[in-house]
Amino acid sequence: MAIRTLDVPLHDALPEAHGWGRALGLFIRKNPLGAAGALLAILLIVAAIFADVLATHNPIRTSSRVLVAPGSEFWLGTDNLGRDLWSRLVYGSRISLLVGIASTLLGAVAGGLVGLVSGYMGGKTDLVAQRLMDIMQALPILVLALVMAAALGPSLTNTIIAISVVIAPRAARVVRASVLAIREFVYVESARALGARHARIALRHVLPNTFGPFVVLVTAQLGGAILAEAALSFLGLGIPEPYPSWGRMLSIAAAEYARKAPWLVIYPGLAISFAVFGTNLLGDALRDTLDPRLRGN
Amino acid sequence: MTRPRSLRSLLPFAAALLLLPAAPGWAQTPKYGGVLVTHPLSAAPSLSPHEESTVAVAQQASPCFNNLVYYDPAKKQESVDTIIPELAERWSWQDSQRTLVFFLRHDVKWHDGKPFTSADVKYTFDAVRGAPDAKVKLKVNPRKLWYENIEGIEAPDPYTVVFRLKKPQPAILPMLASGYSPVYPAHVPLAEFKNKCIGTGPFKLKENKPGELVEYVKNPDYFVKGRPYLDGIKFVVIRDRSTQIAAVQSGQLDVAGTGWNRTNAEDAKKGLPKLVMVETDSNVNDNVLINFKKPPFNDRRIRQAINLALDRKAYLVGPRQGAATFGGALLPRPSGVWGLPPAEIAKLPGMGDPAKQKAEAKKLLAEAGYGPGNPLRLTVSTRALAIYVDTASWMVDQLSQVGIEATLEQIETGVWHPKMTRLEYSVALNLTGVGIDDPDAQLFENYRCGSQRNFSGYCSEEIDRLMLEQSQTTDPKKRLALVNEIDRRLQADGARPILGWGKQHWVMWPYVKGWAVHENSIYNVSRRQDVWLDK
Amino acid sequence: MKVYVFKRLVIAGVTLLGMSILIFVLMRLAPGNITDIIFESAGYVDEADRRKLEAELGIDKPVAIQYTRWLGEFVRGDLGKSYRYDLPAWEVIKPRLPVSLELAFIALVFSIVLGVPAGVISAVSRGRPIDYVLRVLSLAGLSMPSFWLGMIVILLLVRALGWIPSMTYVSPFENLGANLFQFLLPGLAVGYRSSALIMRITRSTMLEVLREDYIRTAWAKGQRQTFVVWRHALKNASLPVITLIGIEFAFLIGGLIVTETVFNLPGVARYLVDAIQFRDYPIVQNLVMLIAVVVVFANLTVDLLYTWLDPRIKYGNA
Repeated sequence: MAIRTLDVPLHDALPEAHGWGRALGLFIRKNPLGAAGALLAILLIVAAIFADVLATHNPIRTSSRVLVAPGSEFWLGTDNLGRDLWSRLVYGSRISLLVGIASTLLGAVAGGLVGLVSGYMGGKTDLVAQRLMDIMQALPILVLALVMAAALGPSLTNTIIAISVVIAPRAARVVRASVLAIREFVYVESARALGARHARIALRHVLPNTFGPFVVLVTAQLGGAILAEAALSFLGLGIPEPYPSWGRMLSIAAAEYARKAPWLVIYPGLAISFAVFGTNLLGDALRDTLDPRLRGN
Repeated sequence: MTRPRSLRSLLPFAAALLLLPAAPGWAQTPKYGGVLVTHPLSAAPSLSPHEESTVAVAQQASPCFNNLVYYDPAKKQESVDTIIPELAERWSWQDSQRTLVFFLRHDVKWHDGKPFTSADVKYTFDAVRGAPDAKVKLKVNPRKLWYENIEGIEAPDPYTVVFRLKKPQPAILPMLASGYSPVYPAHVPLAEFKNKCIGTGPFKLKENKPGELVEYVKNPDYFVKGRPYLDGIKFVVIRDRSTQIAAVQSGQLDVAGTGWNRTNAEDAKKGLPKLVMVETDSNVNDNVLINFKKPPFNDRRIRQAINLALDRKAYLVGPRQGAATFGGALLPRPSGVWGLPPAEIAKLPGMGDPAKQKAEAKKLLAEAGYGPGNPLRLTVSTRALAIYVDTASWMVDQLSQVGIEATLEQIETGVWHPKMTRLEYSVALNLTGVGIDDPDAQLFENYRCGSQRNFSGYCSEEIDRLMLEQSQTTDPKKRLALVNEIDRRLQADGARPILGWGKQHWVMWPYVKGWAVHENSIYNVSRRQDVWLDK
Repeated sequence: MKVYVFKRLVIAGVTLLGMSILIFVLMRLAPGNITDIIFESAGYVDEADRRKLEAELGIDKPVAIQYTRWLGEFVRGDLGKSYRYDLPAWEVIKPRLPVSLELAFIALVFSIVLGVPAGVISAVSRGRPIDYVLRVLSLAGLSMPSFWLGMIVILLLVRALGWIPSMTYVSPFENLGANLFQFLLPGLAVGYRSSALIMRITRSTMLEVLREDYIRTAWAKGQRQTFVVWRHALKNASLPVITLIGIEFAFLIGGLIVTETVFNLPGVARYLVDAIQFRDYPIVQNLVMLIAVVVVFANLTVDLLYTWLDPRIKYGNA
């Protein structure tokens, strides 16, 4: 399992911060890759938020300037309908980010809740929940999403649901492991001895301590979610035209015009790769920081 | 010879050389042998042309079959005048054009050795026309209405077939000459045609891997002596366009190009200039379906606005990359036989100045109650294939320029036709290819009230009446006048706005000879018995 | 030990059962009933055919009966019929299986051959440039869409060398050379991605193991570093790697779907996409179940392998 669990409460695990500036400098020096990743992730978010400003043309406006090579007028060239690739990439970041974050959060929260309950309650509930998670996790994400899309029809919502269904079991597993570890702590036992209700214990004591691994999980899965959306769009499901989706841009136009206009294949793929690369690096760095066992070596 | 002849004496010889036709190879002596490898438009859902509606089947099943009559592969423009005998040696119109008698060849055998007789013809066309006493029922019958006018079919002796028509119909011969109208064997169960083929044609089926490969081998007992030239034909399904291009450039494919657009064809040739590129019309058009029965699209102004918003010249440049012809309901001239004159076409909605037409569209929308405060919202439905989606994306943009907020809905191939037949859409981008360049086929299928493929729900009794009239008109000039009149009215009504007629492309090696390409259809030319390889 | 094996078999069985229910339910989420869908997409028109279809599919019976009937057929090896090709499903799947299996196998080989040494080297040289380079390379592998990698590779090779993916499948028994040539690049495209994950796991496991006391002892005893690393550390690091391979298998199948499409290989995964596109529902249901069986089986094998190799579990200290 790639995700480690904590064996100390979160607030003991974070390094001391003598002011934000020093902490940042420390972060960058200790984790150059992580800093790079954070930068990429920030760029992605900036692109998504400021798409209107960054884009040079209307992303769905077709024109007669068909398959123009990258140059001063169209920074990354145009596609077979004369649409500016750069603008479509910039607006596409919104879709990728939206689907990525929505599906990751949805899956992580849903799965996390299941893991929390399952880990805390133990016994039969745990056994059943675990088998359920196993079942959901056993199917390859693409297969599951394909079937769902076939059954429910391709759309933005269904894409998000399909991807989150695959993330949920992983979240459940991570949270459950944390819960299992923490449940045995003395302070939880003493709280129970003092008569505190289960729900209160779960929310007040156990949950905050699963936060660390949870955050790591979310950043780790975000990249996967973005990739899943790209693959689904590539296969023709997911976000419908004409709104730009990076995966979709790769499939149709690229397959037809790959030889004549390779920029149509290169840049959307690079966009996906950098977005995922950035979030993965960031996730790695966060995990390295929050997991004490790998620090200080 | 002790010294060279003077140049002047060589002149006639040189002139003769220059005057010899350069292509297509009809004048040279064909060589026998070789297996031609090509890729089809897509995998064939079955090898039964009567039960399918995609050119992929016509392409991949035609080498196996024969028709009663066929279009001459050597003549580029198909028409009633280029129809030549195949299984029928000759035919005769009788009884004031109401009876068509075919005299069949005596020397034809099916691929399994059994003799071909008139019983096979009766079997086939009784089934296709849905005769009550037909020996077999087609699972699905897309062209049943082609044969509506047949009263009865008789086979008085093994080599004579009589088609009795209700009314005269000059189009019956073109219909029988289509790649979709071969003759089936009466002694083979219909279900076998899904994956196998027993025909009388120049090639016998060697192997069929559904979804991957269809391979034919020469029929040594073909009734046309000396044909086919090839030892075999192989259709290899290649899904990826770049692979198709690379395959023909590297010689793994001898012929490619079906389904290509102009960009790909030019690109392929640019990478290897010795390749031969052919571009002609195809009798397939991009058209817009507006659901006549669904409000607010039953409002004529809205339909007209949508039609005006679509700038045809931009369509030519963008989605078609310059490879299309403008026209009305029938394939425009000169490739087509029945199209409207170019001067009239230039005045159709969408052909004029885009700024003016878009302004007019906005005005019409305003009259109908839609404007910036209350934009018309609709979904453009289309098939989930590249050529459909590209044009539909372009459409969405054009509509947005007149204030219509449109989104795209992609519908998978499997459910496209049923959805369209049941009119479960608002606006759709459609491609229509009719098997033959003939008004009976084109008009009855797509514009008659209640026809299964009349996807827009358009219905006009007057037009129906005119359609019937032109079908029974035997004088070609009178018929053309009627057809043009119908076309005019269809365009005025906006029955099915035509964006343009796309072109077909082929890219092949120069050693491929006799690869026939017709300029007004892609469906009726795939027998391939005259193809040979000059290597 | 036997108890453990038995327990895992039971769990695998339960998982499969659960998956079958999930798949069955998913397929019936489609709006409209299955008969209508197949009826239309297969191109039928006649109502009598529709009734025949209903009887064949057993739609008229209650859902529970339909489920048990399907499950019974599946277990007996009856994979149903492809309505699109009008052939028994097994006949359509059979020629495609070797293709997918070979691709998966080659991808797995690549992933191990690339991932494990990279992980070891990275762990041993922690903090040094080679570590960063390898980590970036492996992360790049995880970040790239595998179908995109395939497209780029094809683009480069086509332009630079005029190479193209082979058009028809060549069986390894026909011509091993041509076959390997055909599978090399797609295998690499899929394998590169898996290798990244294996590299990361190998690296972190190695890092842990390298800190262990018995390693330090070996060093103190004077055994050479390389020897220590490769003999002791690797052996112990192999366990999580093997587990990961099991998890990766599901991942791999997703990669197969897009790679078979891009490289024009007639495999089972690509056929699944086709079947979904053409609404060949009974096939989809059975294929997905088949994939589930393969994945669960792979996981089970890996679990058992892990158990067999890990001395701690052997002696009952799980």
